[in-house]
Amino acid sequence: MPIITLEAVSYRYPEAEQPALSDITAAVNPGEVILLRGASGSGKSTLLRCLNGLVPHSTGGQFRGRVLVCGLDTRDHPPRQLATHVGFVFQHPDAQFVLEDVEAELAFGLENLGLPRPLMRKRVEEVIDQVGINPLRRRRIDTLSGGERQRVAIAAAVAMHPDALVLDEPTSQLDPQAAEDVLQVVLRLVAELGMTTIIAEHRVERIAPFVDRIWTLDAGVLRDQTPRIALAEGGARPPVVDLALRAGWTPIPLGLRDARVHAQRLPANPPPQPSPTRGEGDLPGGSGLIICRVDGLDYRYQGVPAVQGVSLTLRRGQVVALMGRNGSGKTTLLKLIGGAMRPQRGTVTNEGVAAYVPQDADSLLFAASVDEELRGQSAEVVAPFAAWLHRYPRDLSSGERQQLAIALMGARADLLLLDEPTRGLDPEVKRALSSYLQTRAGAGAGILVATHDVEWAARTADRILLIADGEIYADGPPAAVLSDSLVFATQISKLVGRGWLLPEEVPL
Amino acid sequence: MAALAAAFIDRNPYVQALLLLAVINVYLPYRGRHPAGTWKFGLALAIVPIVFSAALSRFGRHVLFTLPPIPIIGGRWTLDAVAFGASTGLALLLTVAVFAILQSTVRSADVVAILPRPLYRAGTTVALALAFAPKTLAAFQSIREARQLRGQRAGWRAAPALLLPLLLTTLERALQYGESLDARGFGSGRRSRYRPFHWTAADLMVVIASLAAIVAIALLPVVPYNPYVDLVPAAPNPDRLIAVGLLAVPAVIASLLRVDHAHHHA
Repeated sequence: MPIITLEAVSYRYPEAEQPALSDITAAVNPGEVILLRGASGSGKSTLLRCLNGLVPHSTGGQFRGRVLVCGLDTRDHPPRQLATHVGFVFQHPDAQFVLEDVEAELAFGLENLGLPRPLMRKRVEEVIDQVGINPLRRRRIDTLSGGERQRVAIAAAVAMHPDALVLDEPTSQLDPQAAEDVLQVVLRLVAELGMTTIIAEHRVERIAPFVDRIWTLDAGVLRDQTPRIALAEGGARPPVVDLALRAGWTPIPLGLRDARVHAQRLPANPPPQPSPTRGEGDLPGGSGLIICRVDGLDYRYQGVPAVQGVSLTLRRGQVVALMGRNGSGKTTLLKLIGGAMRPQRGTVTNEGVAAYVPQDADSLLFAASVDEELRGQSAEVVAPFAAWLHRYPRDLSSGERQQLAIALMGARADLLLLDEPTRGLDPEVKRALSSYLQTRAGAGAGILVATHDVEWAARTADRILLIADGEIYADGPPAAVLSDSLVFATQISKLVGRGWLLPEEVPL
Repeated sequence: MAALAAAFIDRNPYVQALLLLAVINVYLPYRGRHPAGTWKFGLALAIVPIVFSAALSRFGRHVLFTLPPIPIIGGRWTLDAVAFGASTGLALLLTVAVFAILQSTVRSADVVAILPRPLYRAGTTVALALAFAPKTLAAFQSIREARQLRGQRAGWRAAPALLLPLLLTTLERALQYGESLDARGFGSGRRSRYRPFHWTAADLMVVIASLAAIVAIALLPVVPYNPYVDLVPAAPNPDRLIAVGLLAVPAVIASLLRVDHAHHHA
């Protein structure tokens, strides 16, 4: 018997004109792992919130059809009664904790269930081991990083022994390493406990090999498919799937391991050089006019070096990606170049106006309407947003807000400095961002983007800088820098090697 | 609570000084967990009223010096005004200090655990509210920084423009908290307790001393202090000094416990 069944579920938010979900019928069977895909704003969060009754109990609105969770109708049972059946992990790592320390937090749900103390103690110990958070157990929540918080949130949900675990984009606010740690935990629960899991996640390439089915939402309409069919149809999918479709490999490989067999049949000796569309004229001594010169830059936070002896030249017309692990000095370097911080040693010479766009671009918007945000901007800047002018900025999807913030901050700048602009964006919005940046560069702006997103950087940048421990240790065109890297390698580069980064570049 | 009441009710400088000593003593065992930021903020709070009061008030008999008739700050600067400002500032400093101690010593899990069952829901709400304050402050900071990045003015004049986004951010977060509580079964029935709070003799003594202090401070007559009437404060009522002294009990206990530990180690 299915754990969760949705029967002709339709839902409309209060005061909304369009339904958020239309006529959804689906079922979740015990032990299944389901990946939920869809562009931002397609209704993913709404659908997940139906599974534990938050929709409609917490949101109001017009709800039709029914959702059964272990035989309980969510219309008659509020979320608190469904808590033993569905564990829920929210997108934002910081707004789901009640108490101050990890152990108390893990026990909070169990206390709510009224379990006897010895049993609670046992559950807490078990979940600490299952999720691997023993080192964190005595820590205060506010000292934890985002990734650690999400792992604690997962543990708190699992401690209640739910029949299913629901995760709403648990990694979208995290950097790649933290996201990887969180996904590891999810995959371990799946492998070791056979946990029934429904997860909305942008990092499809990481999850795809492990899922039983894929739910794809498009404007509130759900398609429930097997992974191969869903990925072949489109939407967010791993680069190996793109390559497989081009090369006609069947069955479609879902991950690197499946794909290797096919990859061996690729032509053995294509010229081992970067594809002709990239890697020319964009070396550090490229052709555009110099927009920024950085010389011997040093910065320390209370004696700890963040940027050490960095010298580089940025040119107009170039999109440059700055990549490195967390704490490698990316943000500090951007702020120094953008003038948001003053160098302790060395110089920054900008031949134009620089604009620094911080990581959480959301927080830059605070007017009552998009129109008001855009007041005083040129027609050129306003034009792309004509359709939204009367909307309220916080009602836009995260991708839309990001676009708006970047357009606002970068409107008058000759040098755009962006900090992790792709975090939490779906593939479509990322592509839009790529083309926006390339257009701006084409019009003569200089662009420097700090990013962890290898696939996006490989597709967007003309030049890659790798930074570690405050020092830049590699500088060159993507094909040269990324193809011999183990950490900053695209999926295609891991699969095929030989300098190919993207599925469309590989000769067949 | 008792300390707060004392800080607000009594402006007698002797009492204030004693209270400050008590507060610092209670804080000492916990020092190092919080940076000096709070203290700097408190000091600023204490000094600002002195400057304002001295610069703006022209009343009082003990003239320090007389400035030429410049608008606003010109005229007589009096010691009385400085004393008045200092007294106000000290009250503010005490308030901040008491809150700082509360924040660094009280865990909301304990607040929740200590309450009798019928008050549990209310208690959790309070705990959440306590946890909210620092987060709201952080949100305020980030909104301010965002405005600066967009080249808008950052002074206090801009504060009203910050309030709306701050309110929205806070409301959004509050909704999220509500959903999280609901999703984790809060209020679904009779609760159990993972780590019940065990009352120790020390805890009891602190509570009794605090209660006694509250009662004493509220009931005993206040010797008012107004520097404009009489610059030298009247000697405080000894009963009140004792009442405020009771508030140092946590510090005394902490040091006793330390001596205890030292013995054990020796």
